Amino acid sequence: MTAISRSDGTTGAGDHLVIPDGGVPAGPKRRKGELGYRLAVGWLVLVIFVCFFGDWLWFVKDPGTLNASSGIKSGPSGDHWMGTDALTRDMFARVVSGGRESLMIGGIATAIGMVVGGLLGLVAGYFRGWVDSLISAATTIIFAVPALVLVLFVAALRANSGGQSRTSLIGALSILAIPPITRIVRASSLQWSEREFVQAARVIGAKNGRILFRTVLPNVVPALVSFAFLALGITIVVEAGLAAIGGSIPEDTWGKIINEGRGTLDLQNAPHIAMAPSLVLFLTVLALNWVGDSLVRKLDIREALL
Amino acid sequence: MKYALTRLAQAVVILIVVTFLTFWMQTLLPGNPCIVATGGLTSDELVAKCEVDLKVGENVFVRYADWGTNFISGDLGESYVNGRTVWDDLKQRFPPTGFLFLYSQVVALGVAVPGGIWAAYMAGRKAKRNIPTWLPFAIVGGIVAVSIALGTSVFTLILLAIFATVVIQTLRGGAAQDQLVSASAFFLLSVPVVVLAIVGQWLFAIRWNLYDLSGYTPPSEGLFDHVKSLWLPSVVIGLSLSPVYLRLLRADMIQNLQQDFVNVAKAKGMPPSTILLRHVLRPSTLTLLTVAGLNVAQLVNGAVIVEVLYDVDGMGSYLVSKFLGREFIVVQTLVALIATIFVLANLAVDLFYGVVDPRVRVERSKG
Repeated sequence: MTAISRSDGTTGAGDHLVIPDGGVPAGPKRRKGELGYRLAVGWLVLVIFVCFFGDWLWFVKDPGTLNASSGIKSGPSGDHWMGTDALTRDMFARVVSGGRESLMIGGIATAIGMVVGGLLGLVAGYFRGWVDSLISAATTIIFAVPALVLVLFVAALRANSGGQSRTSLIGALSILAIPPITRIVRASSLQWSEREFVQAARVIGAKNGRILFRTVLPNVVPALVSFAFLALGITIVVEAGLAAIGGSIPEDTWGKIINEGRGTLDLQNAPHIAMAPSLVLFLTVLALNWVGDSLVRKLDIREALL
Repeated sequence: MKYALTRLAQAVVILIVVTFLTFWMQTLLPGNPCIVATGGLTSDELVAKCEVDLKVGENVFVRYADWGTNFISGDLGESYVNGRTVWDDLKQRFPPTGFLFLYSQVVALGVAVPGGIWAAYMAGRKAKRNIPTWLPFAIVGGIVAVSIALGTSVFTLILLAIFATVVIQTLRGGAAQDQLVSASAFFLLSVPVVVLAIVGQWLFAIRWNLYDLSGYTPPSEGLFDHVKSLWLPSVVIGLSLSPVYLRLLRADMIQNLQQDFVNVAKAKGMPPSTILLRHVLRPSTLTLLTVAGLNVAQLVNGAVIVEVLYDVDGMGSYLVSKFLGREFIVVQTLVALIATIFVLANLAVDLFYGVVDPRVRVERSKG
């Protein structure tokens, strides 16, 4: 559409943005990149394990228990690794249970985005024509509303009766996750649908459904999976943003704990309340981006990245 | 010209669909919208007025057409909780957000353009000094050990480690500096705006007392106070935007640096700074512009969060307050307004290409 061809054949502007990786490998050298990649994977595994199995781990206390003897908003110590909050609850335990909520909400929203966006992108790239135009138009329209505003609006409408519910929040976040995944998968599907083995399948009379799922889909999966890491990071960040302005669910999430500790007095006297979840959130998003980015580079995916 | 008209038509269609969908979703709420949207906090008169204004009971297309004509003519409706018109509120709320957008773009470009140019220029060069890989780790490890022995805070320790890394990479020169800039951009890209804002608030407003969380001061009350009241939120949004610019600029400039015209310029003895600015940066402005257009969305997200966190009475915090007050009619109008601004900004960027890049003009007049 508006893509401008450069002399070397890459598209420079318009619909598709080039992944910032212009010939020269970005970031650390290969060996160091491997180390960072392993650290990132390790951190993700650790966070997911501790968050989801925290109830059965001896070093994670119960997030609801009050520890009057430890004092209100006491700083990090050997007994309470991340200190205590205003009600003397253990901050580490709260960050763990908040993380479970954050990761679950982000994870389910991303999974919905992968399934719906993946199918839409696959179909759009394979059939082209009016199907493609329709799906592309729909993604363009959703892109016209900034992410946080879109989630705010959809979640507000769904949560109209009573407080914000988890389901409505996940629904709103998945609407956010669908369009970029659709675009990535569509671009990948467009390329693969042109290949000889897909045409061969058509020639021997395979049905569209079979061709899509047996020949195109397996080749599209790498792009889908590596982008899913980036999408998970985005959904978690948007949820945290929403929670920090008071628009998320009543249960603890990382964003909600940050919101709780962001008052001037708390930042002055007990910065650990806001900083502990902030640090974990940052490291998790960093790890997700690192893994996603490494996969994109390893698998040499060069499609639209928004 | 034909191209401009097609793009304009597209933008109009997108706007109509977006505003209609948001309007339609809002009308799907069960019950009388005038009561639902205000949570029963308002007087009977206002509800009656609201019902007449919104044509409650008519079908959705009629109501949308009515809302749309009002929207275009600048009547954004009113809040039925306090009876103030949205337009009056916005007039008051717009300047802080406008200045915030402007300053944060300046900060973002101010960080990203020199950084991107430098990284692209250094990428693929040989290192000046050969410093073995283990040495920086040893130095940083040494600093950590000494700090622990001296009992300094974790924060000072992190700052020292970052400082040491920067110094070592700078001494190495060449591609190591590109790595440094790229890695910083990657880290910055991974910091959620919320985290950046909270850490900024903690460091600059509380620990070092360099920023007052006292809200916005208009420029008419002194330029110094004005800048003082907005610098931290602008820096936070600007920093969160800058890695997006930096990474794209770097990639684009590396491609441009490999073009023949750069070799020609080198051969005729042009100084590197002139080559970079005149022959390499100029074609890259196109990419920068596209991203600037798309970044408006990021800007809005950042503004919403930062305005609430820093108590800036702008449009972002207005939207959030209406959202928390469950005034969906107003929220819907604001969403429509934001989408309009976003689509128009991207349209403007698209049309502006032709002005910046003669190649685009030729291509468009052909097709």
